[in-house]
Amino acid sequence: MKFEYIFFWIAAGLYGVSACSYIFGLISKQEKLFTFGLYSALAGFVPHLASIGRRWMETGIEPFITISESITFGIFMAVLIYLIFQFATEKVRPLGVLIMPVAFVLMGWAGTLIKDAATQIAPALQSWWIWVHIIGAATGFGSVLAAAGLGLMYLLKEKYSAGIYEKLPEPQALDNLAYRFVAGGFIMYGLMIVSGAFWSNQVKGNYWNWDPVEVWSLISWLTYGIYLHLRATFGWRGRKLAWYALIALAAMIISYWGIPFTVETFHAGFRIQH
Amino acid sequence: MSEFNNIADLDNSKFPIEPGNPIVAIWRKIHAFLTSAKLAMFLLVTILTCCVIGVTIFRDKRAWDMIFSTLWFNGLLVLLVVNVAFCFFSRIWGRKLTLVSLGMILFHLSFVAILGGIIYNSLFYFRGLIRLTEGETLPNGELQSYDSSDRGRFFNLSKLKGETTLIKMHTMYKVDGDDKRAAYEIAVGEGSLKKQGIIYITKNLDYRGFRYYNDKEGYSLLIMLYDKLGRELYGAYVPLQSLKQKDDTYLYTTGTKDGPGDFPFPQDSSKPLFTLQAAYVPTPIKELSGDAFFKVWPLVDARHEEKAIAEGKAAIGEMFDAGDYYLSVREVRYWVGMNVRYDPGLPIVLASLWVGLSGVVITFIGRILKRKK
Ligand code: HEM
Repeated sequence: MKFEYIFFWIAAGLYGVSACSYIFGLISKQEKLFTFGLYSALAGFVPHLASIGRRWMETGIEPFITISESITFGIFMAVLIYLIFQFATEKVRPLGVLIMPVAFVLMGWAGTLIKDAATQIAPALQSWWIWVHIIGAATGFGSVLAAAGLGLMYLLKEKYSAGIYEKLPEPQALDNLAYRFVAGGFIMYGLMIVSGAFWSNQVKGNYWNWDPVEVWSLISWLTYGIYLHLRATFGWRGRKLAWYALIALAAMIISYWGIPFTVETFHAGFRIQH
Repeated sequence: MSEFNNIADLDNSKFPIEPGNPIVAIWRKIHAFLTSAKLAMFLLVTILTCCVIGVTIFRDKRAWDMIFSTLWFNGLLVLLVVNVAFCFFSRIWGRKLTLVSLGMILFHLSFVAILGGIIYNSLFYFRGLIRLTEGETLPNGELQSYDSSDRGRFFNLSKLKGETTLIKMHTMYKVDGDDKRAAYEIAVGEGSLKKQGIIYITKNLDYRGFRYYNDKEGYSLLIMLYDKLGRELYGAYVPLQSLKQKDDTYLYTTGTKDGPGDFPFPQDSSKPLFTLQAAYVPTPIKELSGDAFFKVWPLVDARHEEKAIAEGKAAIGEMFDAGDYYLSVREVRYWVGMNVRYDPGLPIVLASLWVGLSGVVITFIGRILKRKK
């Protein structure tokens, strides 16, 4: 087995361990399990990075193109954002209870789709817009995943305020944090769409073609645009928005990676014709 | 005071607008409708739903036909923007200018500007596909120069000036080590204003707002006609289609993109002699050499019920016996197809995207700063 795969599955396994300890921590109300969960996530992050790096070095091709690569990188960013947030604040300790199971499941899914031969965007198409595009998409996903996690924390805090939930920040603070992650994700997603438009304009001379990939990203972007308006214009706060963030996350995952079930290509519009 | 003002004053005095006036009442209704935030939400959700349907139930071409290019869907988009304009700006009006509100204003303004840019563009754009064999020049102003073209209602054809020349096509063109595949060396314009440049997949050439993009390329055969004594009678460049075969190889032949076909030959003399299908099989050994295949039918027999007059192959440069004549492919050149685009609204749209994005960032920063205080 290649190193890349060994690292990949070690990472997936550790994310699984992390996910389990968060879930059991929540059920048994043991805070120690949250700490364990956090450190196993960190331990998984290292081979995750190694796996991506290894693939990149081996093929010389940036590994963000195929579906499994794209999912892998999305989780990578999500876990990174989560780890930074946790080590920087330590305020929302059970947060991993949503994030790590999602990371674990998506990682497993990516594992089943992984292919040996790296595909690349035809070098002819390469332009630095791609980097903005890829990083915007992955960071955007990581942010809204964190927001959904915070939404879940809000719902839990509201329902049970004693025990392990006592140490959680006040509902209002959770609500506000969630908003910030949505706004951040909205910006990153906007950046993805804008860079995609510029890229398309550079290559084909048009910036928007209602191509399925484009429409899907518009869908997730609008979904979060609606979130921002429910908050700013209609004054929604708290529970309703927390539910919205959770449901929107599902929409986001489908729109981001569910595409392979509907259309075959990563970017139909970017194939080179003979 | 100009006369116009006087006339307007007169009109006003004749038809004073009073409260209860039906026009005012209707206007109030329209205004209330357009400034409703509920309408905005409704539109956003409806458009979102249409988008979802357009990538799940219907797809690709059907999604275009059923949704994205329909009048009602584009009407919804326009209504959304008008709604943004009324709703957002009537709410924000008179509010103190803070980072938060400034960002929001930028964002929603850019939203309106994007649509403005799109509409403006749709009235004035030009789009054409021009196909040239190496060495060939075509006049830009004549629509026959384009395989297909399309333009906005108010596009002025006199904007298409000068001519376009394909100087040469380069294969395996490299830029900083990246394989850009094919690059076209072209010259566009008129007289001393001619602009020459190389275009490839990530680089286009802009001549007075007309942008040239590379699109596709293929082979062109210089087919010569000789009489039986070997005297040259006629010659013309004939571009070939590249048709993908089931085994992923390509067939280069005359015909259309839907399949191989024949054409009357000689092409532009008043009296064609027969119909001809020509194909080309490149050799991997040397660029632009290989074999040519010919199939010749009598002219009268459009459906090819009779047997072909002649059928066979000859290497490039060699003679092929086609009954009463000889045929020969003297030379193979490349042809290229380029998209020519003129989109005067484009800069507005692209700039607005950044303005909008920075608006969201400004609002976000503004909110964080407000919290900190
Ligand atoms: C008919 C369409 C729209 C209307 C009427 C509208 C109206 C508004 C209004 C009134 C606000 C200010 C809320 C406040 O009172 O503080 C606002 C904020 C905002 N709008 Fe819109 N808007 C529309 C479309 C959009 C779209 C399509 C997007 C992007 C998807 C968008 C993104 C935003 C953002 C990011 C904010 C700032 C939210 C925040 O962080 O506070 N708007 N909008």
